[in-house]
Amino acid sequence: MRSFRQRFLGNPRVALGLAWLGLVVAVALLADVLAPKDPFAIVGAPFAPPAGDFVLGTDSLGRDVAAGLIHGARTTMLIAVLSTLAAVGFGAIVGAVTGYYGKLVDDVLMRTTEFFQTIPSFLFAIVLIAILSPSAVNLVIAIATVSWPPIARVVRGEVLAVRSREFVQAAVVAGQRDSAILVTQVLPNTLSPLIVTGSLLVATAILFESALSFLGLGAPNQMSWGFMIGAGRSFMREAWWLVMVPGVAILLTVLAINLVGEGLNDALNPRLADL
Amino acid sequence: MHRIPFAMASAAIAVALFAGPSALAQKPGGTLVQITQPEPPNLAPYISTSGPIGQVTAKVFDGLLDYDFDLKPKPALAESFTVAPDGKTVTFKLRKDVKFHDGKPFTSADVRFTIMDVLKTNHPRGIATFKEVTAVETPDPHTAVFKLATPAPYMMMALSGYESPILPKHVYGVGDIKTHAKANEPVGTGPFRFVEWRRGEFVRLDKNKDYWRAGQPYLDRIVVRFIADASTRTAALEKGEAHVAGFGAVPYNDVKKLGALPSLEVTTKGYEMISPIVELVINTRKPPFDNQKVRQAVSYAVDRKFVIDNVWFGFGKPAMGPISSNFAPSGLYAAGIDFTVADRIERANKLLDEAGFPKKADGFRFEIVHDITPYGEEWQRFGEAVQQALAQVGIKATLRYEDVAKWLKRLYTDYDYFISSNFLYNLADPVLGVHRGFHSDRIKPGTVFVNGARWSTPETDALMDKATVEADAAKRSVLYKDLVQKVSEGSPVIYVLELQFPTIVNKQFRNVITGPLGIYGNFATAYRQ
Repeated sequence: MRSFRQRFLGNPRVALGLAWLGLVVAVALLADVLAPKDPFAIVGAPFAPPAGDFVLGTDSLGRDVAAGLIHGARTTMLIAVLSTLAAVGFGAIVGAVTGYYGKLVDDVLMRTTEFFQTIPSFLFAIVLIAILSPSAVNLVIAIATVSWPPIARVVRGEVLAVRSREFVQAAVVAGQRDSAILVTQVLPNTLSPLIVTGSLLVATAILFESALSFLGLGAPNQMSWGFMIGAGRSFMREAWWLVMVPGVAILLTVLAINLVGEGLNDALNPRLADL
Repeated sequence: MHRIPFAMASAAIAVALFAGPSALAQKPGGTLVQITQPEPPNLAPYISTSGPIGQVTAKVFDGLLDYDFDLKPKPALAESFTVAPDGKTVTFKLRKDVKFHDGKPFTSADVRFTIMDVLKTNHPRGIATFKEVTAVETPDPHTAVFKLATPAPYMMMALSGYESPILPKHVYGVGDIKTHAKANEPVGTGPFRFVEWRRGEFVRLDKNKDYWRAGQPYLDRIVVRFIADASTRTAALEKGEAHVAGFGAVPYNDVKKLGALPSLEVTTKGYEMISPIVELVINTRKPPFDNQKVRQAVSYAVDRKFVIDNVWFGFGKPAMGPISSNFAPSGLYAAGIDFTVADRIERANKLLDEAGFPKKADGFRFEIVHDITPYGEEWQRFGEAVQQALAQVGIKATLRYEDVAKWLKRLYTDYDYFISSNFLYNLADPVLGVHRGFHSDRIKPGTVFVNGARWSTPETDALMDKATVEADAAKRSVLYKDLVQKVSEGSPVIYVLELQFPTIVNKQFRNVITGPLGIYGNFATAYRQ
């Protein structure tokens, strides 16, 4: 059997996905070098088409679309990754506690989780932003709040399966504290599904951020891809590039994350992949 | 024998040449489809001034008066009126041939009821308009005498069917006016009677066959459609499925495209009694904006032409002060300081230096938060343009975009803001629409769209108080000239542009926009070609 690394990186789809993601991350990190100006700066005549003075044209106020795309990569990735980390962290704790303790704790926490799951997540995010008012931090909070329940359920299932195993019982007998057992014995064995779900969650978070910005509920002071689409959608007929450029960026990024996520899944569960 | 027919024929031709085209053209019939956006919350214009309501109900209710484009009153339910020399008694002679849609006659009792029991106590603007009215006397069924505590010439501008609809006492006088059963099935004297409101779809209004203006209305029916999606509204007008739309129902960037079609025309007339102004309101008690020089600098910094061209796509003109140029015909318009001069950026920088805010190493003088009016896309773009304009003179602005309730509370209750975009109507008279922005008696926490800048001076207050009771137009014009200059020096509010809403009308229909209320008019004279 091949190693994890071979199985993962040897997959051409994963390689493609990683290449694109690497590019996006590099652009996000180097945004201030690649486009030193404020992306909101009005730099030219409005509605200049691509391949003129500006590589990707300008928007309705005369802002450089290329600069927006570069700085948008940073905002979009940052919000997506942070909200995913928050969701995974919180979801994993809830899932681990419910799975490990069971009984009343399980009932209370799982009913709470179900409560969150019954609310359509996008509508819930809109309501949260409306209450909290749009800003980068609040976007992270809103996206994380609607994203953690599936993580909690996945982790709970894994913990339920693991906690009755001999090595856990051995740790109990050895006198380890509950928290230590959870962190050192149980959670490491739930990592592979967690990583897969978490990586796919980044893609969902990007879509959430874009959709919220599209509706005008994005962070008003940060240029993001969703913001660019939202600001450009009224001019779709006259200036296709306003929507097309960030739209393609979102499409490719979400696709890349999905390819990598599925690659991870195949690599971590090789027997499933062979089926 | 044959001479007579010839003479008759030539007479007929003469008549046809003289009056023929209009008589021929104004043939009755046809259904006009109007787009109103958004759908009104109710059809009770006597208790709510929510914009879309009047676009429907102004066809159902008449007012005592109508107005022409120069804001001169014309007879409507009142055939004539006389104002006593002391300005405290206004006598209206009412038409005798008017019936409500339920067949009952219209009398002075209905006027008394509408003014005293409904508008003066319940209508958001009527409370101010009719504040001075102490009684409406009804010596006979066709005479209504308004008794005023002090002269109120501005009241005469607020008697249209849109602003002050006359209600039937026998209908609305029964039951609680605030939750009346007929709130969504209006009964009036207007050219069209209410038939049906299918929620989310349309309101149907049919011709009032007993309308008191003989021969009118020409149309058989008006259907007011509600279409939530902006591009669908544009497409409906393009295809001729809808015939008239105003008030930003069509995105500004689509209007030019529609105007180029041979079937449609675009007019910016019909908003002379509304006169919307896009402005920036400043919290004049919060440093650094407690300094007049800083406020003037901001006014110089804002690029009015850029905003008009790129945010409102040309549908506006620079505002030169608190009073709209629509008041030029009545002599009340005056221009203040010209903030659009060529060297405005240098002037702004100089004023900020003088005010004691030098540029620091990072190029900025100070940081503020700029609140954005939560009315949609163009307001966000406007906020972004202002942010860039402020950056040019060294003011770093962070944008904040909240929901309407929070934003209103921030501006008018908590006063927890630096500067915010805002949208106010001048309405039919400066007393109604302009004074509220900076009179000291309009600094009222919790009341919205009043003096949120909390700026006032004894001189400007006195000028407004005089203008409120002054009946002589020439004297009022002198008072307003002085007022505009003083307000523009103080700059508690930065008047950015006079918004010229486009109204799109299908050329099949003529005489649709016939007065200063535009789409808030009654469409009695509209006809299909």
